[in-house]
Amino acid sequence: MARIGNTLIASVTAAALCSGAWLLHGTGAHAPPQPSVTEGRPDPGEEALAAPALPPSPPDRIRIPSIRVNAPLTGLGLTAAGSLDVPPAGQKNLAGWYEAGTTPGETGTAIVAGHVDNAEGPAVFYDLGALKRGSAIEVDRRDGRVARFTVDAVEVYQAKDFPDDKVYGAAKRPELRVITCGGGYSKATGYQGNVVVFAHLTGAA
Amino acid sequence: MRRTARLLAGAALTVVALSGPAVSAYAAEGAGLEVFPSSVEPGGQVSVNTKACGDRATAAGDASAVGAGPFTMAPSAHEGDAIGQFRVPESAQPGTYEIVVECAEGGREVKGDLVVALNASRGQAMLPRGSVKTGVGGALGPDPVQSAAGVAALAVAAAGGTWLLHRRARGDGI
Repeated sequence: MARIGNTLIASVTAAALCSGAWLLHGTGAHAPPQPSVTEGRPDPGEEALAAPALPPSPPDRIRIPSIRVNAPLTGLGLTAAGSLDVPPAGQKNLAGWYEAGTTPGETGTAIVAGHVDNAEGPAVFYDLGALKRGSAIEVDRRDGRVARFTVDAVEVYQAKDFPDDKVYGAAKRPELRVITCGGGYSKATGYQGNVVVFAHLTGAA
Repeated sequence: MRRTARLLAGAALTVVALSGPAVSAYAAEGAGLEVFPSSVEPGGQVSVNTKACGDRATAAGDASAVGAGPFTMAPSAHEGDAIGQFRVPESAQPGTYEIVVECAEGGREVKGDLVVALNASRGQAMLPRGSVKTGVGGALGPDPVQSAAGVAALAVAAAGGTWLLHRRARGDGI
């Protein structure tokens, strides 16, 4: 009887030791995934039109199945400094789109942005940096159509050297940019830059 | 482990984020006529939608004020709205024009304004500059709940270990 009790207590002790060590070890940094260089932007020249442009219609929702994103979109403007404003940080499953610009699916560059995290933890685009070339992005539009985009590249840019033209500049075909924070983090200055996903329209429903 | 805890803790917030703004936005829009873009250049394409005619309803649109003539409003996959599109003629003069839609059933009329302007193209809107502040590092710190669980588990291990050592010292045969 004492032997069974000893064995039991020894097992519980060992299990508690292992799980305690695992739990404490696992509380280190959980940096959001960052893209590898192989997901970088292909050379210009692959600008062929893949699907006919849609008429303008504001978007309602963005879905990225491979990273389990399914989020409503709110309209975004510009800050006083001229940078793209961001959705309210408190709502972690909310993304935004630049509503003075191109609507997703029409010819030009539509811009979507969302938080990688907020004070509470991971937010809507936490896994954006894990997207790969060829991944699908779907945007529900108010006209009832769904614009389907295919990822061309996933890049990281430092804030101090941000390529505005590449990211925001006009396009001759329907394109989409999806932006979140990334590029390393320091306690003093926060995230150093942005993860930017480049995609183009490949279909519509 | 941590992500699961986060998911559970954030479930209520997520529900609010998903339903809250959508519901309030549509309540605020009411049953009027939404015109997009509300400001357009001559030759530009315009889409209009409304909930006023009810679910799965059709309606007759009239954009003749701006010279685009009649158009059809058909039910869409979006929230049961009726939607329609037309193109503003190149010859349209700058100004504000009334777009009228009449529901096929009941004959209810809804109206919305369309502004025609020479520099209204959204393609020429000012483009954003620079990086976007979309994170604060909240995903990076230690998770207090997980840390507490880890400390508790180690405390159990310490107690068990002490007890076993104690029994062994007494020669209880382990």
